[in-house]
Amino acid sequence: MRALPRERSGNMAYEALDFFDIDSLLTDEERMVRDMVRDWVEDRVIPNIEESCRDGVFPDEWRVEIGEMGILGAPLKGYGCPGLSYVAYGLICQELERGDSGVRSFASVQGSLAMYPIWEFGTEEQKEHYLPKMASGEWVGCFGLTEPDYGSNPGDMITRAEEEGDHFIINGAKMWITNGTIADVAVVWAKLDGEIKGFIVEKGDEGFSAPEMKGKHSLKASVTSELVFQDCKIPKSRILPNVKGLKGPFSCLNNARYGISWGAVGAAQSCFNSAREYSLSRIQFGHPIASFQLVQNKLSWMLREITKGQLLAYHMGKKKDDGSWIPEQISLAKMNNVDMALEIARMSRDIHGANGILDEYPVMRHMANLESVKTYEGTHDIHNLILGRHITGIQSFTREP
Amino acid sequence: MEVTVISEGIEGSLHPVTAQLLGATSSLGGGITVLCPGGVGAADAASISGVSKVISVEGECFMSYDCSAWSKSLAPLAKGDLVVASASSVGRELAASIAAIRGIPVLQDVTGLEEGFAVTRPIYSGKAIEQITITPPCSITLRANSFDAAGSGGNAEVSTVNQSADVTVAVKQALTKAGEKLDVAEADIIISGGRGMGDPANFSKLYEVADILGAAVGASRAAVDTWEEIPHSMQVGQTGKTVTPNLYIAIGISGAIQHLAGMRTSKYIVAINKDAEAPIFGVADYGIVATWEDALPVLKKELAALLSN
Amino acid sequence: MGIAVLLKQVPDTTAKISVSDGRVDESAVSKWSISPYDEYALECAIQLKEAGYGDVVAITCGPQRSSKALTEAAAVGADSLVHVLVDGFLDSLQVQSLLSAAITKFESEVVLCGKQAADTNSGSTGAGVASLLGFSCVGVVSDISIEGGVFSATRLGPSGLEKIEASAPCVFTFDKGETELRRPNVRGIMMAKKKPIETVSSADLGVDLADSPLIVDSHSSPPQKPPGQKFEGAESVPLVVEKLRDEANVI
Repeated sequence: MRALPRERSGNMAYEALDFFDIDSLLTDEERMVRDMVRDWVEDRVIPNIEESCRDGVFPDEWRVEIGEMGILGAPLKGYGCPGLSYVAYGLICQELERGDSGVRSFASVQGSLAMYPIWEFGTEEQKEHYLPKMASGEWVGCFGLTEPDYGSNPGDMITRAEEEGDHFIINGAKMWITNGTIADVAVVWAKLDGEIKGFIVEKGDEGFSAPEMKGKHSLKASVTSELVFQDCKIPKSRILPNVKGLKGPFSCLNNARYGISWGAVGAAQSCFNSAREYSLSRIQFGHPIASFQLVQNKLSWMLREITKGQLLAYHMGKKKDDGSWIPEQISLAKMNNVDMALEIARMSRDIHGANGILDEYPVMRHMANLESVKTYEGTHDIHNLILGRHITGIQSFTREP
Repeated sequence: MEVTVISEGIEGSLHPVTAQLLGATSSLGGGITVLCPGGVGAADAASISGVSKVISVEGECFMSYDCSAWSKSLAPLAKGDLVVASASSVGRELAASIAAIRGIPVLQDVTGLEEGFAVTRPIYSGKAIEQITITPPCSITLRANSFDAAGSGGNAEVSTVNQSADVTVAVKQALTKAGEKLDVAEADIIISGGRGMGDPANFSKLYEVADILGAAVGASRAAVDTWEEIPHSMQVGQTGKTVTPNLYIAIGISGAIQHLAGMRTSKYIVAINKDAEAPIFGVADYGIVATWEDALPVLKKELAALLSN
Repeated sequence: MGIAVLLKQVPDTTAKISVSDGRVDESAVSKWSISPYDEYALECAIQLKEAGYGDVVAITCGPQRSSKALTEAAAVGADSLVHVLVDGFLDSLQVQSLLSAAITKFESEVVLCGKQAADTNSGSTGAGVASLLGFSCVGVVSDISIEGGVFSATRLGPSGLEKIEASAPCVFTFDKGETELRRPNVRGIMMAKKKPIETVSSADLGVDLADSPLIVDSHSSPPQKPPGQKFEGAESVPLVVEKLRDEANVI
C-alpha cells in the first residue's frame, strides 16, 4: 500500500498550517525528519486509520515501519538511539498525531516512558540490553505508573515489591497502560519498603499478565491494557538503581508531555484543514458556508490558537534543547495545546455539520482521542494546579498543607 | 524554411498523426520532406497533400525499436531547418536524439504554431501554457489532435535510402499485459458508477466502456457500501481515493459532497443521471439528463466508432 | 564503473502553479521535490548499488535550491553529489551538454533518469544525453536487473511491453517503476547532512553556454473552462462525445 506516483495520484498536498512560518526556524535535518514522518503518515496511516479505528486494532506493520524510520526514542543519544533535537522529537509527534493520537501514543510511550527511564536511570548492562532493540521497534515498551485507584495521585500507589533472595516479588495492578498487551518490556513503578522504585518486567515473567482493555470510545487504534502482578517474580538485576520516589516517573512524564504539546498541534492542524476544505465546498443557501461570518469567526479562532500553540511548542523545544527549562513550562504547553486542540476538534465537527459525525472525516476521531490526551500525562486540572502552585507557592492538590 | 517530418508508424502502417504533422507545417512555406523509418507507410505518406518528397529509410536496425540506432540512421537525412515529429513516446525520443546529434534544441508537445516563429505548449501538466519564440534550426514534436490533418491528393516522389546503424538494444520478448484492471488512482480517464446502477452486475457495462477508453472503473461510496461485489479499492471520494484524471465520467452518481471531494478537480467531468437536480450536474462540464440504461449503450457505440479511427 | 542518476528538482506535483507578470511564479511554490519519474530512477540506482554494481553519483542541474534534491538522494543512499549550478532558462541542448559533461567527468557508464520531468513534461534529456555521449538509450523502463554485465529491462516500446537487453554504456529513462523510492530513515538523514556537494559551473565543465535560439516569451494560465453544459436525453450523447474530442481534447 505504498504511495502512488504523486504526479498521477492526484492527492492534494497536505499543507500544514504554519501561519507564522515556524518552518523557517527549523534546521534542514529537522525539516527532513518531519517530511519523512509526514509522508509515512500520508501513505500508511491516513488511508488505513478509519478501518483500524473501527476494528480497534494497532496494525503491527506500523510498529515495524516506525521502527525502520528510526524515530523511536528520538532525543536519546547512544545505544542505537536517534540522538535528534527535541524540536525534531516534537515535529515527529506533530506529524504522527495529525494522523492519529493513538499512533503518536505508541511512539511517546515507547520513547519517553519506556526507553527514557532505562536510558536515564538504568545500569550500563540494562541500557545495552534493552535500548537498541527498543529503538528499532523490535521490542515494544510500556510504562506502569497509574493504578485503578491511583491516577492523579500516584504517590499513594499500592503496587509493591518485596525482596526475596535474588528476586523481587511484585504484587498489584496497573491500569490505562498504552502498549501493555503488546509490550515486551514494562517499566513498572512500585513501592519497595514504602519508597517508589522502577522495575523492568518482561513479557513472560512469572506472575505477569497484560490483558487488553476493551470498549474504548477513544484511542481506538491504540492498545490500552491492564498490567496484573500476582506474585510476579523478577531477578534483582531488573531494578533501576539510580532513582527513587516520584521524581523517576515524573521526569519520564515531562518528556512525554513535551511531545504531546506538539502532537496536539498536529491533531488541531488536521481538524482545521478538514474544516477549511469542507466549508469551501459545502454550499447552503447558494453560497459556500466559508462565506458566512460565523464560520469565518470559527476558522479565524482556530488559526489563532494553532499559531499560538505552535510558537509555544517550538520555544519549549528550544529550551529543552539548551537545558534551560522547568517542568511547569511543560505543564503549560501540554495543557494549553491539548485544550485548544480539543476545542478546535469540536468546532471543526460543528462546521462539518452532520457530515462531521461520519468517519469520512477525521474530526470526531480526533475529538474522541483528545479527550484521552486531555486526561493522560497529567489531567488538564492537575497541570492547572501545578501552575497555581508555581504562581502562589501554595499547593492546592490536597486538603492537607 | 525546409521542414523534415519524421513519420509515425503503427502496426506496420502510417499513423494518422503524420497527416497532422503535415497539416501543421505546410503553411510555413518551403519544402517538406517526410522520412519513414523502416519504410513504414511511405506510399501513404506520399499521398498526403503538401509533401514535397518521401524518403523511405530502410535497414536492419528498423526491425525493432532502438532509439540510438534509429536516430543515427535518420539524423543525416533530417536536414530541415525544422525537424518535426509527433509527441508520442518514440517521436519525442527520436526528435530529442536527432536534435542532440545535430546540435540543435528540441521543444516537445507543442499545441500551437505561429509565424514568427512561435510555439505554444502546455507545462506543469497543463497547469500553465508556455509561449516560446524559436530561431531555427530546431526540432519540435506536436501533440496529437492539436492540429488539423492535411488532406489527401498529394503525389510526392518516394526514394529509398538504405541506412542502418548498429543496434545495441536487443528485444528479447514481448510481454502481454496481464489484463489487470487499471487502478483508479493512476488512470487518465475514469468511469464511475453509483447506486443508480441498480445492481453490481451492471458495472460490467462500465467495464465495457472503460476497455474502449483505456479507462479505470471507480465507484461512489454508496455503491461500495451497498454491494459487497464493489470493493473499497474502487471507491472515489473523501475516504476513498482522490483522483484528478483528464476525464471523469460519473454514471448514476448523485454527487454528494464526499464524492465530489474525491473527483472535483478532474480536468473534465461528464455526468449521466436521470435526475436533473442531482448535485453532480453542478460540477459537470457536460451533463446528460438520461437514464444510464438509455445513455450508456449510445456512449459505448460512439466511443467505439471514434477510437477505432 | 558507477551509476549516474540525473535528478531534477521541480515544484511538488501537488503544489499550486500560479502565473504572475507573464511568468510562473516560483516564489509562490510551497514545496519543491525530486521529479516523480526521477525518483524511480533513483530507487533503481540504489538497488543496483546494493547488488554490487557500483557507487551512485546523483547529478542535478539547476539553481541553488536544487541542492536539496541531492541531499534527499544522499539520505536514501547516493554516494556522491554533483550540483551543476545554473540559473534561468536553459534549452534542451544546454542542459544535455552540461549533464553529459558532468557524467563524463565522473566516468559513469550507466545513466538513469526519469522519462520526463514534471515541470516541462518534455522527455528530451535521456535520449539527448545518450546521443551526445554515444551511449545506448532505452526509454520508458519500469525495472532493470543485471546479470553477467548485461542489463535486462522491461520497457514500454511502440509495440507494447517488452523485455530488452542492453549493455553499458547506456542511458535508461524511467516510467513508473516496480518499487517506489524508499523512505529515508533518521540515520540516512543525519549522514546526508554530512555529505559534501560538489558544485560546478558550466565553465568548470568546459561547456560554453552560448545564447539559446529559444526565447521564452511568456507563461499564461490555461484558459478558463466554459460553464458546464447540460443536455437532455440519450440522443445528446453523440454530441457530447464530439465535444469531448473537439472542445475538451480529452479523447
